[in-house]
Amino acid sequence: MSSATLPANLSEETVREISERRDEPEWMLQRRLDALDALDDVDLPDVIQTPGRRWTNLEALDFEELVDPLNQSDETERVTDEGVHVLPFTEAFDEFDDVLEANFGKTVDPESNYLTALSAALFTTGTFIYVPEGVDAKDVKVRAKMNSKSLFSHTLVVTEDSSSATILERIDSGDDVEGDRYFSNLVEVTTGENSYVQYGSLQNLDEDTYHYTFKRGDADVYGTINWIEGNIGSRLTRSDVETELNGDSSETKIVGAFFGHNDQHLDINARVWHQAENTTADLVTRGVLDDDARSVYEGVQDVGRDAWNTSSYQRENTLMLSDESEADASPKLIIHNHDTEASHSATVGQVDEEDLFYMTSRSVPPLQARNMLVEGFFVPVLEEIAVDEFREDLEELIAERLR
Amino acid sequence: MSSDQDHLKETDTEARFEFKKEQKSSFQADKGLTEETIRVISEDKDEPEWMLQRRLRALKQFQEMPMPTDWPGQPDLSEVDVNEIVPYIRPDVETRGGVDDWTDLPDDIKDTFDKLGIPEAEKNALSGVGAQYESEVVYQNMQERWEEKGVVFMNMDQAVQEHEDIVKEYFMTKCVPPSDNKFAALHGAIWSGGSFVYVPEDTTVDMPVQAYFRMNSEGMGQFEHTLIVAEEGSEVHYIEGCSAPKYSAFNLHSGGVEVFVGEDAHVQYSTVQNWSKNTYNLNTKRAIVEKGGRMEWISGSMGSKATMLYPASILKGRGASDNHITIAFAGEGQNIDTGAKVYHNAPNTKSTIESKSISKDGGRTNYRGLVHISEGATNSSTAVECDALMFDNESTSDTMPYMEINESKVDVAHEATVGKIGDEDIFYLQSRGLDDDDAKQMIVSGFIEPITEELPIEYAVELNRLVELEMEGSLG
Repeated sequence: MSSATLPANLSEETVREISERRDEPEWMLQRRLDALDALDDVDLPDVIQTPGRRWTNLEALDFEELVDPLNQSDETERVTDEGVHVLPFTEAFDEFDDVLEANFGKTVDPESNYLTALSAALFTTGTFIYVPEGVDAKDVKVRAKMNSKSLFSHTLVVTEDSSSATILERIDSGDDVEGDRYFSNLVEVTTGENSYVQYGSLQNLDEDTYHYTFKRGDADVYGTINWIEGNIGSRLTRSDVETELNGDSSETKIVGAFFGHNDQHLDINARVWHQAENTTADLVTRGVLDDDARSVYEGVQDVGRDAWNTSSYQRENTLMLSDESEADASPKLIIHNHDTEASHSATVGQVDEEDLFYMTSRSVPPLQARNMLVEGFFVPVLEEIAVDEFREDLEELIAERLR
Repeated sequence: MSSDQDHLKETDTEARFEFKKEQKSSFQADKGLTEETIRVISEDKDEPEWMLQRRLRALKQFQEMPMPTDWPGQPDLSEVDVNEIVPYIRPDVETRGGVDDWTDLPDDIKDTFDKLGIPEAEKNALSGVGAQYESEVVYQNMQERWEEKGVVFMNMDQAVQEHEDIVKEYFMTKCVPPSDNKFAALHGAIWSGGSFVYVPEDTTVDMPVQAYFRMNSEGMGQFEHTLIVAEEGSEVHYIEGCSAPKYSAFNLHSGGVEVFVGEDAHVQYSTVQNWSKNTYNLNTKRAIVEKGGRMEWISGSMGSKATMLYPASILKGRGASDNHITIAFAGEGQNIDTGAKVYHNAPNTKSTIESKSISKDGGRTNYRGLVHISEGATNSSTAVECDALMFDNESTSDTMPYMEINESKVDVAHEATVGKIGDEDIFYLQSRGLDDDDAKQMIVSGFIEPITEELPIEYAVELNRLVELEMEGSLG
């Protein structure tokens, strides 16, 4: 894997200026500079390659052209709930400096790859969500609009023991910008003991935007991290959603929905590491492809040597509405402990002929029948969503795409 | 090891594979791999110029290609230094190309195959037998009735001389070119022995033909080439068995198998591999299947230190089909990395892949598979099922399937499960009076039954005995 080169418009001065404009503490600046330094040493994220086929071509991204670090702009609305702190980083440094310093970059290592390092060095937006011990936050929402050519966002969620948070993040394009755009979104979730987080993310960027997101959670004893990842927009999406089950009896669900059309390319990845005893994981992804759209899916269930009594499940289903669409899938099981019940399955196919026949025989017009079946195909994902607004928005976007 | 397992040690199964023969040969190439080695081998075989040129071209490709090192979980190949390998040993047999009567063989070689039970099997269940010792086929025979129908079953070296046109057309040209991978290139440079099978139109060879490959010498490499051409409407079942005694130095087996399945033809290729646990088993096997043809790959991988093997079917003609059944058993120190590849390149093609793996005592099994459906391969379907059984916490089991779907009118399904032996199943069997070890043994036999039932009874029995031997003393 070749690493991308450092864009010419990116230097230590750029990073210092970003940090200064945001009035950041010294440690934050230092982290940014470390990430900038790392750019020379790290590679682009791994992409599956089989003989004669590269599943996603990230090398084609021209960061020189895409990245405009000093002109980032967004419009972000944050809805908070009682007892929980939902703040932009710039407003959190005063009160939560220690928590931030201790947790920033702990779950998503900025030096994971070129794109995480670029993001950590340049981010100008994002949210810090802090849930104190015993607090239940039911209704945290972050709605962001991207107004500039490039935008880097970093979100950090920290929950203390026996707390819970249901978070919805929605990402759209705001002002029109000439040419290609780039949006980078890193999300870190660290849970305390016996705490619960559902993090839902709905992305509907315009189709000139290249989108990279890396969401990673670290679940403590009896902790639960549930991810719901909806990808509708963007020209190209590379999405990595991962959970490390580090605490005994911790759990995770990684639920994904995508709907590609035109020439969209959606590279969706769900990965879980079982590192402790009695942990459970359930990975469910459903996607639909129309026109020339292409999807890539990798799911990994990694069961460590010490992960006794593991339960781990994975399902991926892709529905193809057009002959020109393409779908690649690779569900993987990596098992180091025999005290495991693990399974995975993946399917690719079309709308079921018999279902269609049944509907049309009940005098539903063919196109409407197909659309109803597509909407029904997403139900297992929709059912997992705890936030009504998220479910309704996703349903609406799916319905819109079918019109 | 419990005492009632001791009897397993006493069965002749182990002795049948483990015995060593003193190394006797009439010609042995120097260690290592140079252009000179290739020329010497080719000259010793009295090959036509084009074959020498193909070998030399393959050698060049081998030298230019990197070792595969970055596959996740792959076997460690750092020990495999081809310069340490003796690539070619011609055993001391008078008749080049193999005798057709076992009694004409030197006693020690005959004894080897007697112990392996090959002549006995020939009498009972086979249409023809080839036996390779080191680098050359020493015995080759086929029942006369097949010869009369135009069926050819001879050793590959002889085929280069006697069926030059066919071999020249098919040998590492269309199916497995040396450029395919580093070990295919190595194979192309120093191949020796193997089988050539030709089945004319509309001919059904109703009993299997078999080839047995035996490495006897320490530090040698065996590189046999198998070419099967099944013409339109024909049918044949080819079985290969492999074994070697264990030495401290590593052995390398890098075979090449090319199968051409004609229109509406049916070829079944079965392998029971029991290489010694110092052998690196790195093969390339591939079939091209024409319209309405059917290819079946049945593989049991029990032996070797490391295996990398992914039999491939290219479904080229409309309605072609493929069936893979594989079983891998990895014990202490073994990494069995195996799987299947299927390319659906025409409409109405079908494939089914069934993989079973067992890992224990720190062994590692990997399933690595690829299903590719090309644009235009409408109404194709594929079903992949992988099941892994793990015995203990030192072992590892990976399942890594890749699916590439470029066509919407398809039916693609993949399923996999991993788990330990069910406590309830064991309890049930114990409550019926079996002890713990026998219960586990029985569950494993049931687990691999889909494979054994595809094999002639002699082989099914053999496979079961091998599994028994692998399980010996390791249970509880």
